[in-house]
Amino acid sequence: MTEERIIRGVMASSGVAIGRAIRIFDPLLISYNFHIESADTVKEVSRFRDSVEKCRKQLERMQAELRGSSIPESSYFVDAHLLILKDKLFVDRIIDKIQAEAVNAEWAIQQVSGELYEAYDRLHDDYLRERRIDLEDIVRRMLHNLRSKSSSTVPSLPYDAVLVGKSIPPSTLFELRSTRVAGLVTETGSPLSHTAIVARSLGLPAVVGIHDLSGISSGDQLIVNGTRGFVICDPDRATLTEYRQKVKQQRSTVPRSSDHEPCTTQDGVRISLGANINFCEESQSAAAHGMEFIGLYRTEFDFFKEDGKPSEEELTAKYTRVLEALRPAPVTFRTVDVGPDWKSGDGTGSSLASRGLRFSLENQDLFKLQLRSLLRASHHGGMRILLPFVSTIDDLDAAIGIIAGVKKDLTRHHHKFDREVPVGVMIETPAAAQTCDLMASRVDFFCLGTNDLIQYYLVIDRSDQSAALHYTPFHPAILRCLHQVYTLLQYSGRPVTVCGEMAADPAAAAVLLGLGFTSLSVSLAAYPRMRDTIGGLNLGKLRELAGEIMKMESPKSIEDRVRSTIG
Amino acid sequence: MTEREVVVGHRLGLHARAAARVVQLASQFQSSITLFRNDHGKELEADARSILSILFLAAAHGSTLIVRADGSDETDAASSICEYLRG
Repeated sequence: MTEERIIRGVMASSGVAIGRAIRIFDPLLISYNFHIESADTVKEVSRFRDSVEKCRKQLERMQAELRGSSIPESSYFVDAHLLILKDKLFVDRIIDKIQAEAVNAEWAIQQVSGELYEAYDRLHDDYLRERRIDLEDIVRRMLHNLRSKSSSTVPSLPYDAVLVGKSIPPSTLFELRSTRVAGLVTETGSPLSHTAIVARSLGLPAVVGIHDLSGISSGDQLIVNGTRGFVICDPDRATLTEYRQKVKQQRSTVPRSSDHEPCTTQDGVRISLGANINFCEESQSAAAHGMEFIGLYRTEFDFFKEDGKPSEEELTAKYTRVLEALRPAPVTFRTVDVGPDWKSGDGTGSSLASRGLRFSLENQDLFKLQLRSLLRASHHGGMRILLPFVSTIDDLDAAIGIIAGVKKDLTRHHHKFDREVPVGVMIETPAAAQTCDLMASRVDFFCLGTNDLIQYYLVIDRSDQSAALHYTPFHPAILRCLHQVYTLLQYSGRPVTVCGEMAADPAAAAVLLGLGFTSLSVSLAAYPRMRDTIGGLNLGKLRELAGEIMKMESPKSIEDRVRSTIG
Repeated sequence: MTEREVVVGHRLGLHARAAARVVQLASQFQSSITLFRNDHGKELEADARSILSILFLAAAHGSTLIVRADGSDETDAASSICEYLRG
């Protein structure tokens, strides 16, 4: 009997989960490996051959379609794919491996393709070396065909699974959101990474920053304690019983009738409390909570697709669904913000140099496509458009110019849309925090993204594990910055909503209210808790507290002071 | 067995499309067809029916290859492949 082991990491998404580990090898795909009975190798080989045949049919169909298209040359790449599918270096070696080593087809494919990738990497010719994408594409298609009978890209998981991998891209988590995923554990990443944010919005407990995952194999029973930041491997019976109880309690957070009443502090001051969502589907559950408004809909998760560019019609339909589900509550649609750790389906990452609005201005086709879709949905509810990661007035003016151009074009083509749709700026760079008064005359509203703001003010690498140590909203630099933004915007008369993680931490939210902010937006999971928290706070006392901590010097003592005051 | 020497005439060498064409040509013959390239004293070989092995041969424009065909139609096979490789 194996001993229970505790592996410590960093909390990334709260809650607890019990499941069996599934090691992720390809970041874009889930495949699991196991030994099979020697007698079953014949069956496994024919399962593999079936998947090859299925790939061939899919590719031939694709080839025929492309040949009949306006650009028949576009079918050439399929020729290479079809030939790889017949290549003995690939196919025969996989079959040999299944037979000789009695392993499942997925495992054999991973092993053989891994050797071939190495051969590609050894080539001196840049062009040839890059052709490994052909093989990668085939492998992906093959693994997909092996794991599912339908054409859906979502794999079926054999049990309640805890995903375990070096890193798990947000796009993968996104694909798996409706499967039996119970939680996730990764080696890299931080609580600030997009993967962690997605995990939180899906209510999936997550622990990141585990130094060594080699002790965890597929099939091991795991408990993920996302609230405390550790993983228990092969738990003993007493631990399991304790955690089963915790999981049960967790499931009882359903919408309450009091959710529909306005949110006020103990001393009767009205606070606007909204929610952040990441996916179109979440609009239903936000509506069930009687949400006043959606302070932030991070549209990038619904924007990119595994199999290429999104279509304007699809996006318009999605955005319309969100607005209709939540009507009359206003919804703030933040245009696509790709961060350094974001990986879209086509593998394009983004560096800090081109985040948010910078990315949009460099990829204007995508930006215009999204704006057209947004505007075409705008008259179905209360849409607001929010521009992320704005750092200069010039960028802002360029974006406003593009929006005007798109509107003109839609008018010319007789599309219906809300001509007065408010446009806002996300304050999340120190540059925007310092110059928000200059931006105020150009836009209708502001949102304050505290996650990024704190990160850039305090110089923290988002993917670094030490982030958790240095990241604090209680730093005097942050308090001064927040105070400055509040004061600058007071004069401008433009409304501001705080929608970072800071608004979802009771102590940090108390500081925000004390500083004068009256509109907060938090994740769906944190919403009920924050309503209760705000109901128990006395705003008069918080104002005094804010005055006091503005004079204090150490982040640690400020945090202690705030936590002891609110109890 | 027939062996012929040929200099690759394709501007980009044996890249994906040219490699694919070689495989398609080779598949029309009964004979087994092997390509050899001498890379600074190292002898590399590729099966003309395997696109991956042809790619890994990394034959650039102007490189010399030996085409070896073995089978009932070896003469036709070797000339046909050589003719294509010359570009």
